[in-house]
Amino acid sequence: MDMGSPSLDFAEFYRGAKDDCLFAVLVSVGDQDTAQDLVAEAFARAWASWSSVSRHPAPAAWVVRTALNAGVSRWRRRRREVPVPDLALVADWPAAGETADGSVDPRIMAALLRLPARQRQVVALRLFLDLDTECTARVLGIAPGTVQAHLGRAIAALRGDLVPTRQEESQS
Amino acid sequence: MIDDELITVLLEQRGKVVMTTPVEQIINRGHAVRNRHRVHGVVAAAGAAAAAVVVTVSVALPASRPAGSHPAASHLPAGHPANLPSARLTAWTVTRLAGGSIRVTFREAADAAGLQRTLRADGVPVSVTFTGQQNPACQPYSAGTSQAFWPFGPSTGPLGGARFIANPKDAYTTPYALVIDPSALPSGAGLQISTSGTPGPTDSFQLDVSLVQASAQCTGG
Repeated sequence: MDMGSPSLDFAEFYRGAKDDCLFAVLVSVGDQDTAQDLVAEAFARAWASWSSVSRHPAPAAWVVRTALNAGVSRWRRRRREVPVPDLALVADWPAAGETADGSVDPRIMAALLRLPARQRQVVALRLFLDLDTECTARVLGIAPGTVQAHLGRAIAALRGDLVPTRQEESQS
Repeated sequence: MIDDELITVLLEQRGKVVMTTPVEQIINRGHAVRNRHRVHGVVAAAGAAAAAVVVTVSVALPASRPAGSHPAASHLPAGHPANLPSARLTAWTVTRLAGGSIRVTFREAADAAGLQRTLRADGVPVSVTFTGQQNPACQPYSAGTSQAFWPFGPSTGPLGGARFIANPKDAYTTPYALVIDPSALPSGAGLQISTSGTPGPTDSFQLDVSLVQASAQCTGG
């Protein structure tokens, strides 16, 4: 790593990790504008501590965790707001056919948002950020076995939620 | 649909969300974050100075000392600096273990100066900063930077396997905890404890520990 040009290193990291981090946070918080704002803040904090974060074993996980923490802190400051995501927010996602091609499938996002918060976080880190079980456990402060249990339950719930829809699609 | 297919469908969604904020805007925001950290550092230093005055007054006038002490103080040896009346014991606890090791439990990134003073009094050459910035006087101990992270822990970092620092069983859950064995530190080495994220409760920051060259300016000699 060229420590003589930290800004360049950071820019490279940002370009490579920003979309995955955004999606991981989006799955956790449920609102794209909020997710984008939290991830931007987290990347800004990563830049401010880049000498340390750049040596982190999983800088993208650092960003996601920081973004989620910022979301929790933001919610604490605004106690009167409903913590996101809430089932009510699922309805905010446009129905199938209302989004342009290339955007997130609203049924899949709605199914993800119906998962309990911890299961959603595990899916975000384990699947979408491609962290291993051990690293996911450390990010979330839970045991590796708990990660696997949450992931198993999440997959089962998503299967139950999405498979009938998909089968109907293929039959029509 | 079997699970592999389901996971494939889920992963296909990943590339459909694009972060549109330009990197220049992130870096500009990063400058603001860095400046905020500096301000926090100045405020923290001023707060520490004010706390020192309070300690002096409290010791000089025992009758004005707040009634009772924090329960954590009972775990500390008599005369331990953290037992001073106004020490911020709620933020962290330093406990001497059998065999000379020292356990540090972090509940909040606060009173870095107090923690540094306490650990140094227990024989740990250490620099502690909670401003998001590391002590500029500290130099890495070796060319291969040694660093550990909480809640990630040292097993994925270069400190993995080092005898001078360890994770208790519950270290990855908040409050963070680590065990330092000062006698196992390499000759001429000290520790630098700093934070990333924001000062405050443990769910707001991550803890970084690195091995540095011991010096008067960095680890107190």
